[in-house]
Amino acid sequence: MTTAEQAATLPAEPDGIKWRHVMVRVGQIGLGLVFLWLWKWGANSAGESYIADPFKVWDRLIEIARTGELARHTYVTLRISAIGFAIGCAAGVVLPFALRRMPRLTDAIEPYIMASVGVPKYALIPLFILWFGINDAPKLWLIGLLVFYPVFISVFAGIRSVDGRLLDIARVLGASESRISVEVIWHAMLPFFFSGLKISVPRAVSAAIIAEFLVGFEGIGFYIENARQQMDVTGAFVGIAVAIALVLVMNALLVWIDKRLSAWRPMDRHMEL
Amino acid sequence: MTTPTLSGQAAGAAALLRGGPLGLLARKRDQLLVLVVLLAIWQGLSILLGEYWIGTPWGTVRRLVSGIADGELLQHASYTVAEAIIGFLVGGIPAAALPFVLRRLPMVTAIIDPIMVGGYGSPKLALAPLFILWFGIGIESKIALIVFTVFFIVYFSTLAGIRALDPKLVQMAQMSGASESDIARHIIFPGAVPHIFAGLRIAMPYSIGAAVVAELISANRGLGYMIQLRSMNFDTTGIFVALAAVCFIVAVANWIVNIVERHLLLWRPPADVTAQKE
Amino acid sequence: MAALLEVRNLSKRFASRAGREPSPWIIRDLSFSVADGEFLTIVGPSGGGKTTLLNMIAQIDTASGGEIVFQSKSAPLGDKTSLKPGLNCQIGYVTQEDNLLPWRTCLENVLFPLMAQGRLNDETRAHAQSLIRAVGLEGWEKHYPHELSGGMRKRTSLIRTLVYDPPVILMDEPFGAVDAQTRVQLQEDLLRLWNLGRKTIVFVTHDITEAIALADRTLVLTRQPSSVAGEHIITIPRPRDIRDILTHPEFVDLYRRIRAQVQ
Repeated sequence: MTTAEQAATLPAEPDGIKWRHVMVRVGQIGLGLVFLWLWKWGANSAGESYIADPFKVWDRLIEIARTGELARHTYVTLRISAIGFAIGCAAGVVLPFALRRMPRLTDAIEPYIMASVGVPKYALIPLFILWFGINDAPKLWLIGLLVFYPVFISVFAGIRSVDGRLLDIARVLGASESRISVEVIWHAMLPFFFSGLKISVPRAVSAAIIAEFLVGFEGIGFYIENARQQMDVTGAFVGIAVAIALVLVMNALLVWIDKRLSAWRPMDRHMEL
Repeated sequence: MTTPTLSGQAAGAAALLRGGPLGLLARKRDQLLVLVVLLAIWQGLSILLGEYWIGTPWGTVRRLVSGIADGELLQHASYTVAEAIIGFLVGGIPAAALPFVLRRLPMVTAIIDPIMVGGYGSPKLALAPLFILWFGIGIESKIALIVFTVFFIVYFSTLAGIRALDPKLVQMAQMSGASESDIARHIIFPGAVPHIFAGLRIAMPYSIGAAVVAELISANRGLGYMIQLRSMNFDTTGIFVALAAVCFIVAVANWIVNIVERHLLLWRPPADVTAQKE
Repeated sequence: MAALLEVRNLSKRFASRAGREPSPWIIRDLSFSVADGEFLTIVGPSGGGKTTLLNMIAQIDTASGGEIVFQSKSAPLGDKTSLKPGLNCQIGYVTQEDNLLPWRTCLENVLFPLMAQGRLNDETRAHAQSLIRAVGLEGWEKHYPHELSGGMRKRTSLIRTLVYDPPVILMDEPFGAVDAQTRVQLQEDLLRLWNLGRKTIVFVTHDITEAIALADRTLVLTRQPSSVAGEHIITIPRPRDIRDILTHPEFVDLYRRIRAQVQ
């Protein structure tokens, strides 16, 4: 249940809640239908060279799913996202743990890290292409960088958030420094790490798609951009729909995993909004 | 729960900014040292690999000065800035206003929630080809992309601000005879301002980034176009100059948001510098 | 009874930061000793450096002067890196906040020190279970701290220290933040557990009634800088009924004398 629904249903009595729930569902379905109708109407009035017909989009989707084209492009995009993500995420986790023991170095490099957060990473793609050629390397650099920052910042904040008393008591109870890293810091950091993942996993997929706009011959991004250049509006619509679906599925998956992993956290998790 | 989280990022940035055990002077000296090392690495790499691959620091500064002097850089930069500002306003203002309108309409809020959550989570930059198709390679397609990017971020942070408000404050106002519009103006809005600004702060670099990405894909002006063009000519120094300009714009925009926020939020207790645990 | 733990001329002030004077003395020339198996309570005004004192004995805070002798051996006090928190698991510490690990269940929290010390086996596990039963926590083993009441969390934190059997246990107002009813129950639980093992306990509180009810001996501390203002042997015979202690004739006399010393 989303917070909006909670807010909508909270003040009502049990009977009212049920009724409201049904109304909200009906409203959502109605809105979906209106949206579909608007789309169809737009396609008819603006012309299919601007807005693809929703039914033709559906047909094309089925067609590329059958020919295996969809699976191939999706695989390419997901593969590069996963590798880039792994690189960026590993760096983003390892670095804060390494810096934990080096406060002086942390202080010295901190302003530069903070300044580099503001650099629009996508603007670096042409440079990466220039340096590394037309292959996977520029994509990996882009995805790695985009993943690194949110992971690094959240893990860093997570490590700093650990209650000093908790560390002292763990030591009194006989825990070694490495046990403290594994037990106390790791656990306390996990919620932060997850808030970083929630940003960076969908980002990795988006970044792969954007990078494919500019370099490569395969992948969802390539499919979209290729369709646009050939004035194949239906193809562009299909590609964008797949891209959006892919990212939204990633989001949903992360939410599900997070819920399962953090049973120990108090129920005030709506605070995170 | 599919609600977006960005507050963790802000908290992280704040944590990074918190001071360490070192004295201020010693820290500044260390930081300067790091800067020198970074510049040395840059210079070293450009000598090692050749200026063709990595322009020198000094060359970049010279090009930057000449680019400003002949107006070319400013012309492209102003184009990108214009896109970002227009898109930021067109997307941000309705996004900040909508939750106030929806406050009294919980049913509507619930009905549109899936669209908002989906819109927030979806990769907006992937829509760039579509907008270029619809609005051409001019400024309109960039603005459309920025509007989409900014809207959902600001919408959700404003919504969070309204929800985070203590209901006791509203009750207190009601008991002291305040009207609904009084409550909206004097209780809800001031309470939500910090959240709106948190959203704007996050959205701002995104809007500049979106402008640059759209220009990279297809444009005939702007800093993104400049980067793309120069990369085709293997002009790395030129790319560095354009990138520096982009970073400069982001920094200035950040600075402006900070100033405005500080003026609007004078009533707030100072940031939690004293809240450090012993 | 020989002294197990001795505090000699202990002093503490916080170090100066750049450009600032060091803080005034929080503790100055504080000396006392604790015998093996003794229940010592320490009362003093709020904010009087009692927590700092226990932190120093537990070796999680440095001292500015003096000496702490445990089993006739001097413990390191100088700088933060040479400290050995808990002195190799010989000094247990029940803190004011329960400091349970929120991602571990009640039972897992109790087992944590055993695991950390590599002593987790069937025997110690059974000991942990018996302690859980002794304080009435059975049925709650699988619950996370946030699902337990304040009193249950206190009990968990108490037996987490008892389970690994340190020779000395420090307690810092462990029952401070609970309601009066629960407090009496917790005190009774503590006395019952103490009667079974007769550990050495140093118990800090600002509640004079609690100090008398639990102790063999009570120390009264002065205002800052803290030092010993007086010492009182509590001769009320054990076992004691905490609910009736207020009516004991000796109690009234002790309470008056201690009250006069706590300014």
